[in-house]
Amino acid sequence: MNGIIFDIKEMAVHDGPGLRTTVFFKGCALKCRWCHNPEGLSKNLQLMYKEARCTHCNLCKSECNHTECKPFGRCLHICPENCLVVSGREVSANNLADELKKGAEILGESFGGFTFSGGEPFFQYDFLISLIEELKGYNLCIETSGYTESEKFKTVVDKLDYVIMDIKLADSNLHNKYTGVHNGIIIKNFEILRDSGVPFVIRTPLIPNITDTKENLDGIKKIIGDSPWEKIPYNTMAGAKYKMLGMEYSL
Amino acid sequence: MDKKLYDFFVNKEHHKLRHTVDWNLAQEYSAANLTPKERMADRFERVMKEEKAIINDNEKIVFMRTVANLPDCFTEDEWADIKSKHYIHELGYMSNLSPNYYGTIAEGLLQKRKTADEYGKRAIDNIIMLSDKYLEQAKKQGREDIVEVLTQVPRYPARNFREALQFFRIIHFALWAEGNYHNTVGRFDKYIYPYLKADMDKGLYTAKTALDLLEDFFLSFNKDSDIYVGVQQGDNGQSMMLGGLDENGNEVFNLLSELCLKASYNNKLIDPKINLRVSKNTPKERYTLASHLTKAGLGFPQYSNDDIVIPALEKLGYEYCDAVNYTVAACWEFIIPNVGADVANISALSFPKAVDTAFHNNLKNCETFDEFLTAVKREIKNTADSICEGIKDLWFVPSPFMNVLMDTDIYNGGKYNNFGIHGTGIATAADSLAAIKKYVYDDKTISAEEYINAVDTNFENSPELLHKLRFETPKVGNNDDNVDSFVVKLLDTFADSLEGKTNCRGGKFRAGTGSAMYYLWHANEIGASPDGRRNGEPFGTNFSVSLFADIKSPLTVIASMSKPHFERAINGGPLTLEFHQSLFTDEESVEKVGMVVKSFIDKGGHQLQLNTVNRETMLDAQIHPENHKQLVVRIWGWSAYFVELDKEYQDHVIARQAYTV
Repeated sequence: MNGIIFDIKEMAVHDGPGLRTTVFFKGCALKCRWCHNPEGLSKNLQLMYKEARCTHCNLCKSECNHTECKPFGRCLHICPENCLVVSGREVSANNLADELKKGAEILGESFGGFTFSGGEPFFQYDFLISLIEELKGYNLCIETSGYTESEKFKTVVDKLDYVIMDIKLADSNLHNKYTGVHNGIIIKNFEILRDSGVPFVIRTPLIPNITDTKENLDGIKKIIGDSPWEKIPYNTMAGAKYKMLGMEYSL
Repeated sequence: MDKKLYDFFVNKEHHKLRHTVDWNLAQEYSAANLTPKERMADRFERVMKEEKAIINDNEKIVFMRTVANLPDCFTEDEWADIKSKHYIHELGYMSNLSPNYYGTIAEGLLQKRKTADEYGKRAIDNIIMLSDKYLEQAKKQGREDIVEVLTQVPRYPARNFREALQFFRIIHFALWAEGNYHNTVGRFDKYIYPYLKADMDKGLYTAKTALDLLEDFFLSFNKDSDIYVGVQQGDNGQSMMLGGLDENGNEVFNLLSELCLKASYNNKLIDPKINLRVSKNTPKERYTLASHLTKAGLGFPQYSNDDIVIPALEKLGYEYCDAVNYTVAACWEFIIPNVGADVANISALSFPKAVDTAFHNNLKNCETFDEFLTAVKREIKNTADSICEGIKDLWFVPSPFMNVLMDTDIYNGGKYNNFGIHGTGIATAADSLAAIKKYVYDDKTISAEEYINAVDTNFENSPELLHKLRFETPKVGNNDDNVDSFVVKLLDTFADSLEGKTNCRGGKFRAGTGSAMYYLWHANEIGASPDGRRNGEPFGTNFSVSLFADIKSPLTVIASMSKPHFERAINGGPLTLEFHQSLFTDEESVEKVGMVVKSFIDKGGHQLQLNTVNRETMLDAQIHPENHKQLVVRIWGWSAYFVELDKEYQDHVIARQAYTV
């Protein structure tokens, strides 16, 4: 089973218990305007242009015969500063698991486990399931928007040791306005999570005047009750990668 | 610590109290035909007489330099003559030694005077003379506390924690004033703790009041350090070692060790330089404690691994009782306190230069990669031979007071007289070998001639090759056994090349993993290199990955760099990793950084230096992004490489950073 990932971060210190390795799945059903990993939105391979390093030598515009360069109209194998990088690579669950395990060995007993993030891991459900199977025995955690079919959600949650799930907006219409989808399914999946017995935390990114309003936070509190809840401070740095992808940052 | 006192020194107000003396000692000594010892004794006497006793408000640990200059003892012509007859190391004066502070503090200078030679006696008399000046000044200023301390030390043994600290300060001050440099501190928590413990048992100190005094003491290392310039400001060798095993196999780490980590954290000053000895048995909590100091951004502590260092030193011929007592020289070279006279930084071998020579002279004629590798090894061996043969008739300016402090006749060497040779640019060399093997011999995609031509023209006509070498070729630091194996082989060859050689003082040669400033100097000796390093780009410092290597994580660096046989190359030189301040968001992340350190030690790494990078580094990273590729910034829910951010975001982090430093 193959999937598309856009990054592996070893030694993640904020993505669950212990020193963790986080795998970023490419593609997401939501389109949050504040998304800080915009290369995770689309499942397609994307060209990232790192302008900060570019000396405008134009070598990348010279013609080449590499097939992988064709879709982008730029040569990917000539930049002296490595300004052009393709975000996304296709990998089999089996090979990825081997790669991840090799990294985990380095930490020995300090290793915390693996975290699936994105993008949205559920956006590549079959790949997610295969990877979970391959990594059986490790502490496994997910960072999810909770936006997926409830049956799939439950199947995965039951295989995990820890779940980090976002509830961004309590009002379904506002949720639709800012993320592109309504939140009914998310709230339903929250209830499944709460009743699952699997340890979890709810996260809310504090986006100024959007999610950090008293009304919204009170609304979320009403939904989640006394469940563990982290409010993540918003930072204007979030738009950093948009320019590299040639995307608009609408916040 | 008293805030006013701290600001007074940190703002360099005390520089106004200094004066420069118009001396022409070398000419005078030359005309009078004085011996080197007479010159050293006389110069010390004149400096000490010229020194003024200054006691600042609320200052508890006194002695600061008021004479801003220290003239040379020899004329230029005399130096030329000396150099024609001898090998002169650096400035020619004694450096990088760890004298017996403990014995001196416990005995007092009057006791030491009994066994000192005439020059040593004269030095001691002059120290007591200056100390008495301070005593008189303390009386004048009504500082009863200082009067009490200076009535006892340095004449007599220290009786308590404060006297021990003041005594140390006087000894250290005198060592610098005598003209020795890179004067290390040694195993401070081991030899000072008994004084603190006794005082605490009597109820004289709490941890808090002890810390307060310790901060005052730590400040004293920064009062005159600008006068003692090494290669750069701050390169002054005031290294303090904490923790580690003692002669009986017990762990030294104690309350004082902990207070030293805190004092360094609170003072946020570059001296003393904190080192910590650890081992497989070091508890996790200690790594957390130490990681709090890492968070402060000073680059402290530097870790050394007892499990690796002690047996390796024994293998080199150090007795267990000495090996177990190791400390570091100015930077990271392992030296032995009290008895060791190793010259741990006598020279350096450039690995990339060896590869460069073989690349140009042999590549075209080597049919297999093994043949080429043999040529590189031969080059390393030849370089090592020529370095070792070039060091003959080593001579140091004799230091009478240093001689008093050492348990050995330091004029003529020590119990150990080994010479340390640094090894520079190992990742650049290993990456080059991996690239040559892959493209010339395995894939056969480039001919030797083309490759040499590309390197010699700084890749100007081959941008695709440059890109491929820099960004699409395996590099050391990603836990790739193929390329990492070259680090192992290069270091083994270096160790093999030095094995069995005897130096001009009867000692051995030690292979090292440090670079000191040679990572710049040696980089300029060659042009571009086969790994895609362009002409003029520096090597990584010390035992580090290449500056432009695309690294997966600090963990893969640790895995790659803990593979070599350090037991054969133990002159010292740390793996260096940089973390961004913003990584340390909470207690948990500090703990996790500690776990990363632990994994390096548990895997058998020898020495580790962690840097929490600061604003200056980031400003430099904007101008030279290629030199700071591994600078990690934690943004919010994600981490990024600083150099990959657009400038406006970089500026933002820099602005934010300014609040936290």
